[in-house]
Amino acid sequence: MTKETLDKILKIVLIVGVFTLPIWMSSPTYLQILILLFFYAYLTTSWNLVGGWAGVLPLGHSAYVGIGAYTSTILFMHYGLSPWIGMLAGGVLAAIVGTIIGIPTLKLRGAYFALATMAFGEGVRVFVENTDKLGPFVLNGPRGICIPLSESFWNFQFMSKVPYYYIILIMLCTALFVTWYMSRIRIGYYLNAGGEEPEAAEALGVNVAKYKVIAMAISCFMTGLAGTFYAQLALYFYPKAILGLDFSFEIAFIALIGGRGTLAGPVLGALILRPVSDFSRIYFSSFLPGLHLVIYGLVLILVMIYQPRGIQEPLNKFYNWILDKATGNIEKKGVKS
Amino acid sequence: MDFIIQAIVSGTLMGSIYGLAALGLTLIFGVIKVINFAHGSCLMVGMYAAYWVVMLTGVNPYLALIVVVPLLFFFGYFLQDIVIKPVLEAQSDVREPTEVIIVTSGVWYILDNITLMIFGAEYRVVQTSITGKAFEIGEIIVSTPKLYGLIATVIVSVALVWFLKYTKMGKAIRAASLDREAASLMGINQYRVYNIAFGIGTAIMGVVGCVLIPFYYVFPTVGVIFDVKCFIIVVLGGLGSIPGALLGGVIIGLIESIGAQFMTSTWTELIVYLVFLAVLFVKPAGLFGEKRDW
Repeated sequence: MTKETLDKILKIVLIVGVFTLPIWMSSPTYLQILILLFFYAYLTTSWNLVGGWAGVLPLGHSAYVGIGAYTSTILFMHYGLSPWIGMLAGGVLAAIVGTIIGIPTLKLRGAYFALATMAFGEGVRVFVENTDKLGPFVLNGPRGICIPLSESFWNFQFMSKVPYYYIILIMLCTALFVTWYMSRIRIGYYLNAGGEEPEAAEALGVNVAKYKVIAMAISCFMTGLAGTFYAQLALYFYPKAILGLDFSFEIAFIALIGGRGTLAGPVLGALILRPVSDFSRIYFSSFLPGLHLVIYGLVLILVMIYQPRGIQEPLNKFYNWILDKATGNIEKKGVKS
Repeated sequence: MDFIIQAIVSGTLMGSIYGLAALGLTLIFGVIKVINFAHGSCLMVGMYAAYWVVMLTGVNPYLALIVVVPLLFFFGYFLQDIVIKPVLEAQSDVREPTEVIIVTSGVWYILDNITLMIFGAEYRVVQTSITGKAFEIGEIIVSTPKLYGLIATVIVSVALVWFLKYTKMGKAIRAASLDREAASLMGINQYRVYNIAFGIGTAIMGVVGCVLIPFYYVFPTVGVIFDVKCFIIVVLGGLGSIPGALLGGVIIGLIESIGAQFMTSTWTELIVYLVFLAVLFVKPAGLFGEKRDW
């Protein structure tokens, strides 16, 4: 068996395994943990389009999650519009806001862009927390919104966790496909060039700012969809949970630890960090509150010092090594290189 | 009209303290070209240090400066030397290394949550001899601890400018901030310069900590409040600019105190963000910033 076939077999096993998982694992608790894991992987993949490929550091993506959640919920509660349509509306609104914010800020250098997006994210949180009613729409300020229960596919509400699992899985696969596709067409090359050497790319006639804005709009659209998904999953959300600094930072951290600007990085980052934070929160929070965040910070610093390209690089090497070992290729390697 | 004058006076006093806090951040950015996201956490460390010195010895909070400022200087010095330097070295060819921003936010998470684990989430206050003291000029009430804050800001800024202009180390810091490669070629050890600049930046937070504890609560996430304010102030004034930080601080202080006369204080927070975004869009270099930095 060659290395390539084994690689293919393993990948097919993984895909089949992930898609059939709810059949042989019925515990709703573990399913919920997996759903949230995929949710974070999806968010981080969306973030990666700007934060990874465009080479800037957006620290306000929670604002777009909030825009998505509030838009679809308000449309559902006031006009009875299906959250499926509301989801698209929220995504489009998030993309419009992202473009408006992106056009002036994406011209700025690293630190300025990070601070501008951060201030925007915080501004949205402060605004929502202090607004009970926006025109005719109820926002409920810091208390948040409870979505009225009425289970049906059209209402995006399910008793079982399984539909949510498949929805977020399909969303994640789509996001990964979009990222993969974008990296193969012209915009991907432009973004990569502009992210690493903006001046050089500009000199070659690439309108870096324009492509960055396009990437920002797509990223914000996808992030907005995640907001609706979260709202429909939890059926209750409040500003502190989906808006604000901590959430924005968590998205960025997962991408950076996983490996920004790579396809697998966000998923691997979520795969490793989410369980760490979930389990340390469950087991240590009673006597050591905040320990999971200390672990987060430590992992972040260590990864940045020893693996600045994220953990996907050593994991990739390890995976290749396993493949070599399994197919008996290990001796030949010296000759090859 | 009295209430407006009152708002201007208290806004300027509080704003000068914000300016002092932003001064440390702008110094660090000016030299290392990195936004120190752990800046607020350094302030939190300074406040806890000041709190415990005052609680354990019962001294006047301004006397605690003798202990807190050197402590914070070495804290910053070693933070830069141990945690940030390795990343800076790996990224030495990049002008504004984003990875360092991320490392500092890791430091922020660690410091805030270790403090939470050790001291708990409760808000602490310390009763000092000047807590709640105020005096009147005509109809205007001036809070004594905040006035001392203004005085501290003036003293620290003058001392810092003098240090940067006339001492050998200060000149080295300015040289490294202009061009780190050229400075290294001239025999300046750039990483030592960075350590010292970072140390001074954090030492200033020790001063702010001592100035704040007579009238401000101490709690693990107190840094975040000042963090975001400092970021806004330094961008408003221009990253790396000392007068910009001071003026930006006063502007934010005035917006908060004058705004509070007409609306609830949470809405003034929103105005601060709006002003910040407006400045970024119109003049990203800020009031005193240099164009090459953005």
